[in-house]
Amino acid sequence: MNRLPRRWFRYFKLSLPFLVGLLLAVPAQLLLPFAPPTLTTIDLGIIGFVLGLTIRNTAVVAFLLGFIITGVVLLILTWDKRRVSQAQTLYADYVEDVQQKRRHFLRRLDHEIKNPLTGLRAALVNLQEAQAADERWQAGQNAGKAVERLTRLLTDLRKLADLDERPIERYAVNVPELLEDVVDAARSIPAYEGRSISLLIPKIPSPFPMITGDRDLLVLAVYNLVENALKFTSAHDPVEVRALEDGRAIVIEVADSGAGIASEDLSKIFEELYRGSNARTTEGSGLGLALVNRIAILHGGGCGVRSSQTEPRGTVFALRLPRR
Amino acid sequence: MSLDRSTILLADDDPTIADSLAPFLERAGFHVLVVSDGVTALEKAQAHHPELIILDVLMPRMDGREALRRLRKINIWTPTILLTQVGEASERALALEEGADDYLNKPFDPHELLARIRAVLRRARPGERSLSMAWLLTAGDLVLDRRARRASLAGETIELTPKALSVLEYLMTHPDEAISRERLLDAVWGWEYPAGTRTVDTRMAELRRALDDNPADPRFIETIPSEGYRFIASVHGEG
Repeated sequence: MNRLPRRWFRYFKLSLPFLVGLLLAVPAQLLLPFAPPTLTTIDLGIIGFVLGLTIRNTAVVAFLLGFIITGVVLLILTWDKRRVSQAQTLYADYVEDVQQKRRHFLRRLDHEIKNPLTGLRAALVNLQEAQAADERWQAGQNAGKAVERLTRLLTDLRKLADLDERPIERYAVNVPELLEDVVDAARSIPAYEGRSISLLIPKIPSPFPMITGDRDLLVLAVYNLVENALKFTSAHDPVEVRALEDGRAIVIEVADSGAGIASEDLSKIFEELYRGSNARTTEGSGLGLALVNRIAILHGGGCGVRSSQTEPRGTVFALRLPRR
Repeated sequence: MSLDRSTILLADDDPTIADSLAPFLERAGFHVLVVSDGVTALEKAQAHHPELIILDVLMPRMDGREALRRLRKINIWTPTILLTQVGEASERALALEEGADDYLNKPFDPHELLARIRAVLRRARPGERSLSMAWLLTAGDLVLDRRARRASLAGETIELTPKALSVLEYLMTHPDEAISRERLLDAVWGWEYPAGTRTVDTRMAELRRALDDNPADPRFIETIPSEGYRFIASVHGEG
């Protein structure tokens, strides 16, 4: 009669670690929802069982073990909470940043549309009210200019949207040839006639390496940089286009000796429709550098700028693209 | 066929566009019917048998694409110009499946539209399907399979970048027509810019190399000084 309860008591003693493990698993589950419950139970139980067998005083060992594990769990939880709140702050900052960029973009877009539209309305009024033929002709010309500006803005907006939607081509591109094309194109524009644009391409010890990419987009990017260099400098400022390579990447630099860019503008000039303090009077859509940057990123590269407004003045834009 | 007093069906829901384009086209000597949605466009096209249809893509009740698809389904092959809202590549590629003869990106110069109207009318053979709707284009030993996006010369597949192939496709669907670099940029690239014309020349050089076409004595693509290019071989369409 006495044997049976004693045997059961022994079973109970042996299974105690598992029971404690099971009990521990409940708070562990609550605190660490990502750990599978059966695994936690078996794990804790086995540890308790092994220790219990060695030291014999099973219940005390299980209690200590539970105590230590609860401590560890609480530590992990505190650490985890901090990580989560850090991530939440980062995400909130990101969302705020995106919203702010969007607000800026809309405000700038409003500004870019408002001006030519005002010009267009004034031209139309002149067209209706003016009597003299030359005044009417002038009004027509002005309306045409305003429309041209709006069209250019729309075209550049479309290019930006297209870049995000269309896959880019990936073919071998000969950089020196591409740069020659761009420089020739810039020279052939009447407004830049007589401007000094030099092209420097290293040929020694081996021909300039090929890169992989979308030639048309790269032409667009380099052309935008060259056109900017010509547009924002005076007629006697020379422009230099040069290609460099460092084994892993190639760099296309477009340098000028113009007035330079204010340091507070430097970090923002790649933003869509941002206009630096000395760019407000110059014509353009305000999207050129945003396009260049987007094209560079699509090619796995990037675009950087360094500029100085004190002697030696000037600006260098560097388009970095990975080698083939 | 006399181009004068040809009837044009203009479908655009935006009154600022329709109200200004209609008198412009009338002045150019056309008779213009204006409608503002796809369903009415479909009805008028069947009732009035215009010589040409200009369809805006985005319209209420039925969009321009759907209207054109239905017209083609009932075997009405009236030449059609699609006015696309955005320069998306997918939209241009789709224009083929819908059977448009040409497409023009908004915003466009009305003179450009007039030039396209005249070119499409000149090309049109009444009641017949135009080259724009053919899947397989042949010019001598040059074959362009538009569905497979592949071109072959004397049976051998030629290596072309997707852009060069699209340029060839545009030229072959508009044979014997002087096509400016700006127009190619607009049709194939979707946008133009100052250095863009040179981009076209680069692709044309690639195309000529692949076609083994000598610019001095061309079999396929002729350069028209200060104008653009012209596909001179006669093109036959199938499918």
